[in-house]
Amino acid sequence: MAEEYVVQMKNINKVYSNGVAANQGVDFNLKRGEIHALMGENGAGKSTLMKMLFGMEQPTSGEIIINGESTVLSSPSVAISKGIGMVHQHFMLVPSLSVAENMVLGMAPRKGIFIDKAKAIEITKENAEKYNLHVEPEMRVADIPVGMKQKVEILKALVRGAKILILDEPTAVLTAQETEELFKELKGLKEEGYTIVFISHKLNEIKEITDRLTIMRNGRSMGVYETKDVSKEDISRLMVGRDVVLNVQKDKAKPTDTVLKVRNLEYVNEWNKKMLNGISFDVRKGEILGIAGVEGNGQKELIDMLFSLDTPDSGTAEVNGKSIISIGQKKVRDAGVSLVPEDRMLYGIAGTASIEENVISDRAGSKELNSGPLFNMKAIHELSDKLIKEYTVLCKSSAQQVGMLSGGNIQKVVVAREFSNDPVLILADQPTRGIDVGATEFIRKKLVELSRSGIAVLLVSADLAEVMELSDSLIVMHDGKIAAYFEDTTTLTDEEMGEYMLGLKEQTPEEIRRVCHD
Amino acid sequence: MANLLSNMLTPEFFFSILRISAPILYATLAAIVVEKAGFANIGLEGLMMFSALFGSLFSYYTKSWFIGFLVALVVGVLMSLLMGFFAFQLETDIILVGIAINMMGSGGTLFLCKVITDNTEGKAMASTTGLITSSLCIPNISIPVIKDIPFIGGVLSGHSFLTYLAFLFCFLTSVMLYRTSLGLNIRAVGENPNAAASVGVSVLKIKYIAIAFSGLMSGFGGAFMSMSYAQGWSQDMVAGRGFIALAAQAMGGGECFGGMLSSLLFGFAQAMGIKFSSVGLDSNLASPIPYAITIISLAVFGVIRQRQAKKPRTAEGT
Amino acid sequence: MTKKRQLIFSLVRGLLAIFIALVVAMFLIFISSEGDNAAEKLAATGEALKQLLVGPLFRLNAAGISFEGKRLADILAAMIPTTFTGLAVCIMFAANQFNLGAEGGAMLGAFSAAVIAIYYPLPKGVHPIVAVLFGGLVTAIVMLIPALLKVKLDVSEMVCSLMLNYIIMYIIKYLMNNYYADKSKGQIQTYPFLNSSKIAMLSSDSVISAAKLTWGFVIAIIAVVICWLFMYRSRFGYQIRMIGINQDFAKYSGMKVGFIIVLSQLIGGFLSGAGGAIEMLGRYPTFSWSALPGYGWTGITIAILAGNNPLFVPFAAFFMAYLQKGCDMMATYANVPTQLIDIVQGVIFLFFAAERFLAKYRQSLVVKTAQEEIAQKAAQNKEGGQANG
Repeated sequence: MAEEYVVQMKNINKVYSNGVAANQGVDFNLKRGEIHALMGENGAGKSTLMKMLFGMEQPTSGEIIINGESTVLSSPSVAISKGIGMVHQHFMLVPSLSVAENMVLGMAPRKGIFIDKAKAIEITKENAEKYNLHVEPEMRVADIPVGMKQKVEILKALVRGAKILILDEPTAVLTAQETEELFKELKGLKEEGYTIVFISHKLNEIKEITDRLTIMRNGRSMGVYETKDVSKEDISRLMVGRDVVLNVQKDKAKPTDTVLKVRNLEYVNEWNKKMLNGISFDVRKGEILGIAGVEGNGQKELIDMLFSLDTPDSGTAEVNGKSIISIGQKKVRDAGVSLVPEDRMLYGIAGTASIEENVISDRAGSKELNSGPLFNMKAIHELSDKLIKEYTVLCKSSAQQVGMLSGGNIQKVVVAREFSNDPVLILADQPTRGIDVGATEFIRKKLVELSRSGIAVLLVSADLAEVMELSDSLIVMHDGKIAAYFEDTTTLTDEEMGEYMLGLKEQTPEEIRRVCHD
Repeated sequence: MANLLSNMLTPEFFFSILRISAPILYATLAAIVVEKAGFANIGLEGLMMFSALFGSLFSYYTKSWFIGFLVALVVGVLMSLLMGFFAFQLETDIILVGIAINMMGSGGTLFLCKVITDNTEGKAMASTTGLITSSLCIPNISIPVIKDIPFIGGVLSGHSFLTYLAFLFCFLTSVMLYRTSLGLNIRAVGENPNAAASVGVSVLKIKYIAIAFSGLMSGFGGAFMSMSYAQGWSQDMVAGRGFIALAAQAMGGGECFGGMLSSLLFGFAQAMGIKFSSVGLDSNLASPIPYAITIISLAVFGVIRQRQAKKPRTAEGT
Repeated sequence: MTKKRQLIFSLVRGLLAIFIALVVAMFLIFISSEGDNAAEKLAATGEALKQLLVGPLFRLNAAGISFEGKRLADILAAMIPTTFTGLAVCIMFAANQFNLGAEGGAMLGAFSAAVIAIYYPLPKGVHPIVAVLFGGLVTAIVMLIPALLKVKLDVSEMVCSLMLNYIIMYIIKYLMNNYYADKSKGQIQTYPFLNSSKIAMLSSDSVISAAKLTWGFVIAIIAVVICWLFMYRSRFGYQIRMIGINQDFAKYSGMKVGFIIVLSQLIGGFLSGAGGAIEMLGRYPTFSWSALPGYGWTGITIAILAGNNPLFVPFAAFFMAYLQKGCDMMATYANVPTQLIDIVQGVIFLFFAAERFLAKYRQSLVVKTAQEEIAQKAAQNKEGGQANG
């Protein structure tokens, strides 16, 4: 019966202007009053699909049917008018405005030509009570905690008459307690007949709260399932295309001298949140030290400090005995540090430059690549051709624009540069995020290979399988602190990790101190 | 020196500060609103040139300063919408759009002036100063009661009504930004366009409104230039005021009141330059003073901003 | 997108931009042309257009058209200063610095060189070189102001350089009035340049010397080659371009971003100053400019047309000089004010810089390429599978 569907998306295709085909022939539908999980790895096309349902992007081809009616969702306002609301992963709030002002943005109550601020606050309070979502109407959004921001977002959608709510990884930024609260609220909304799309890759949550699920992979739908009928193992297999156990082939690490020595790093960010709270650890030659943790627990800040992108309030970091705090990227690189940055489009590449120009960016001034005042073009061609071959970058020639390559190939260009400049320490920040399986496997193998050749590797990854199986030893970061250190990762279980990652458990200072090999 | 000081502490001097500040203030308000909406309009200079030209021409042809004045506003708005079309629809870098408008505002206005006067007057004119008489200018207003107060009356009374309007607009713009839903939308679009879009605020529409507002303000500024500040239009008469306004916006912290103070500072600098030349200093040495003050104040503002920033993201060389 | 498709796209786009500008020009010529009725005006417009398009190189008269060498020489001579300012803007814009100081820079370079040319006698041959280098250096040093303020204090280089243009102009006027003017002359001008300082004509041919086509043209072309080598074959130019594309990337790669940004503007200053100096010593007997020369603005248009690539600068400069000549011809023979060029220039500029101008056409090419690639990949996989199987 077609009528039971509130939303049907049929044969949706989306090609972005940079040539990336984000969705290919995707079918997606929602039943009234269900909580529907949309699952998939980073870059699988979930967000693109939902952006199209919310009118933020237009499908290249395909049909969207809302309540049985074929609809063109040309903008978010059209989507809102059709009863669709979206809570984005990165909150769509204006920080300098108050909660109430954010709430009524675009539909502000008026008194004459002025905004009726009292009315705005009243509306906010009323709805907060009605849907049982507590918020502080008069506070500036910049000053409220993350959990409340999310409630503001949900309320915003509900106030605008949304019957279908799209939640994009809503639990990614929440504490366990906040997540529990959110689930209670979502179940309440479901009982009142609201339809909810729940994007996540946390299997437990999916199992707990959703009725059906759609799995996406590489821009394609892998099918729709009743949640109760599929096991977690099935889901993960459908999501990643094989068993999650990676079975990385690697010999046991034989770490030797300490390369990176970090002691007592402290950092308070511009919103006065303590992001690093006394971080100390060592990374030794020949080992991969992994850093696991829910994103936003200080990993990004730590990498920023280690690559001189920011200055800590206190603490030290040394590479082979030399301080690398706040000395600038040139000197950090001279000290033998390489970084595979988390945001490759921002830091990793110059998009409109050629592959060749991208692989020489860190060594453009080197003797090998210059002859007199000019470049030695022959040497540069040789270098880039060699790297393209060695790192199997799929491209027409080294003169091709990097921005035109696929995500995986872009990342290969980045690692080709970062791995080939004789580093003593590699900082790999989410090195395989959102890239295809082939490139992922390649980069993982390369990391193991490099560590075994005597390079120290610090691996930060939100991908639990990756960080657990690639690392020789592992630290878990939670709330700006090291919550646990595991000398050996082979016996670790997901459950154990989860407890440390979510801050339910913490090792003793003595146990943690073992990561400093003094 | 004493001569200069006694020359300066006159009502006329303070009167001239207000008069000189007015067009800069209009342009500054334009710069403030577009900046709140998240972009920069560096074409204010060119917009003012177009408004100034058409204002004076229509004032002459219709024999009505008021119609000329309205035309100046309309031209300002239309040209700014054209800028918006290129910047928002065709995604031309807004800075380049501004440069293009300024190019056209410099030579293009002269072309239009020549063509239009040639067609109507029988000979091409390089300015409209010969056409505009004082009756075709925007009238001055003397304020009852205040005009009789010694000193203050000389400073405050007798200005063009556009001068008063400039300061009134400063207040109105502030109210618009902070008390109306349009202002709320403008600020939201400037700070987080995605947030605004996600609740159905049309970012495009708000940006168009903001740039049209900047065109309107440029219209006021342009009309003031050719129909009050000077009698008639001449080439490059706006003389960088549109650019000075960009500096005034930054120095005023992006707020109306601060922008007004900055505009007054520039007014003061220029009035002083004029005074300098009146006591025998070469005018070519006095004329660059406001421009130099702009650079110096931007630098001072830069130092202050750097001190205020709690934690500058450190980076080599920046 | 494949290289060939990209090239075709750029070409179609450029030609269409020029075409639109010509349509706008046609409209403006029509309203400015003389005639009592539409038909007469149309005829006059046709005449004027002919002057605009063909006039720069050919003489049009009752007898037909004939090539005019003098006009070509005029165009080539007019290219000299704008090639320099075009190169200057290319290099500054390539670093993503909207420094608009080439305008004042050209005037400052011309004035500085003039001072050397008048007051410091040097041997023939050496004199103009020293004067031009001096003009370039002075301008480069002045350009340090916006460059350093930007890098150290994040002051907008655009506003700062614009203000600087005015300051340069007024100070030169002040210096002229008070120190350098030849008081025996009616207009404000310096004493004549020493003969040793003049830049020689390319040949003694009467056409060449009438057009004042000097060795400056050759120097300009050499400058183009050097700038291209600098931008595309040296580590500094490379760093300038990378900073322009993605400053965060450049910083992360370990480049000295601040230094390179300052360097780009120093070079821009030098080039614009040297351009002004060469123009002054090649084509004028004394310094008598009382306003900004406009070469800087034309330089910006040229840089945009050339896509910041020095190699395309002479072509863009030729195009602009041709257009200017055409407008001059129209002014002379068809009574259309010569400032039409500013409007035409603005329109071409706008469309050239418009990202989404013809975006649909571009998108269709991108989609086509992507689909081809997918098909290709699928075919490869199939082959690979068969080979494995």
